[in-house]
Amino acid sequence: MMPLLVFRERVKNFYQRNDIYLVPIIKFIFAFIAFQVINSEIGYDGRLKSFLVVFIMSLLSAFTPPAIMVLLAAGVATLHVYFVSPILSILIIIILLVLYLLFVRYTPRLGYVILAIPILYILKIPYVIPILLGIISTPIAIIPMSCGVILYFVFQVIKTAVTMQINMTVDDILQVYTYVVDNLIGNKQMIMTIVIFALILLVTYFVRRMSFDYAFEISIASGALTGLLGFLVSYLILGKSSQIFIMILGIIASGIIVFIVNFFKLTLDYSGVEHVQFEDDVYYYYVKAVPKVTVTTPQRNVKHINVKYGDLGSQSLDSEWNDTDTDEYDEDEDTYQEDHRDYTYHRRPIDRNRDDDR
Amino acid sequence: MLNNRKIRLMTKLAAFETKDGKEDIRLSKYYKTDYVRYQVLKSGLSTTVGYLLILILAFLYKLEYIVKNAVSLDYKTIGSYILGIYILLITVYGLGSLAWFSFRYDASRKRLTRYNKLLKRMNKIYKEETTES
Repeated sequence: MMPLLVFRERVKNFYQRNDIYLVPIIKFIFAFIAFQVINSEIGYDGRLKSFLVVFIMSLLSAFTPPAIMVLLAAGVATLHVYFVSPILSILIIIILLVLYLLFVRYTPRLGYVILAIPILYILKIPYVIPILLGIISTPIAIIPMSCGVILYFVFQVIKTAVTMQINMTVDDILQVYTYVVDNLIGNKQMIMTIVIFALILLVTYFVRRMSFDYAFEISIASGALTGLLGFLVSYLILGKSSQIFIMILGIIASGIIVFIVNFFKLTLDYSGVEHVQFEDDVYYYYVKAVPKVTVTTPQRNVKHINVKYGDLGSQSLDSEWNDTDTDEYDEDEDTYQEDHRDYTYHRRPIDRNRDDDR
Repeated sequence: MLNNRKIRLMTKLAAFETKDGKEDIRLSKYYKTDYVRYQVLKSGLSTTVGYLLILILAFLYKLEYIVKNAVSLDYKTIGSYILGIYILLITVYGLGSLAWFSFRYDASRKRLTRYNKLLKRMNKIYKEETTES
């Protein structure tokens, strides 16, 4: 385990020092994969498939908020469908609008989930999302997750619908339209998937919040198990036993991916270096603030736990009791705080940023 | 000369202002009632539009049937159904966003009090500086 922990510390250090370059690169890679998957799946329009277009769009989403990437992906998918069937693209826009107006606008920070589910579905590992959201989010994430599942099945139906011969007569249009709606409403697999995904998320979330050792690891395993059983039952009911093997492999792969992400989670926890600018009457300041706790070398870190644990604990208690006037500010308190933060890091890794300004 | 205490404080303030605090500071310009009312109105409007779109989809889906039976349809029942579901939706969404956005406002207020504490410290330092010079 030790070499792994050292490795994690290295990765974290590297990330925190270079996050200003790393974040756009990671976003670029994700965007590129997303656009490529969309193109390979419903790439009807050759112009959008050219490398230059994909490259520029990925570059754009690397430097803008994630909402832009979701919007771009939705636009690309709609344009692809528009190329073969304008009617169906209008339908897609209306469905997207309904999903946005009724559900997604209430969880703006989880918008990327809607894009991630169809993409990962095509990559055969959609189970990553519910388990991961159970780890890092709250049950409210069920809303965007369900929208993502619906979207995936909408595009599945659309894919078969575009192969139908469409003339521009009203009758034909209505026929295609009723075909799509019929297939959506009567799609038992979609409803079951939504239910099972919600179950996975809830199981992972509640196990994760229990207070026993290895709660995170056990919650991932139980989430994966829930998914395995749920999809097994649903596939047996629907008579799709041919998909079971791929599903099992997908769930195992998803579990492993989430496990790896969880291992490095502190790095992804928006706890990177802060670059801030400000000024006063005399100077301009360009400050790079590095969180102290992560710069310590791993070996020394491990020593600290045992040596510092006891006296730091009493120190922090003392100061909390005596520190009634929080408006007082002095140099000593500030240096102490950094030690204190070191202490809280070992006890409660996730909350450490909240104690900064006590 | 550089004042390290001040720089430390300013860094914290600036980090808050550029990251988590952006939204909080925007919210601080509203009273709670104003903010919540505005958000409830917005979600009511979006629910209405979403419901209308669903109605259009449903109308098109049943178009053939509607055209065939245009004369014999019981418009009163259909109308009351549509209205009933609409009232239900609006109530659920209205109350839901009322609760959600008041919660969010309170949470953001809590973060802002911490920010204000830091600002007060900052002010103190400024006063000290001006009296010194």
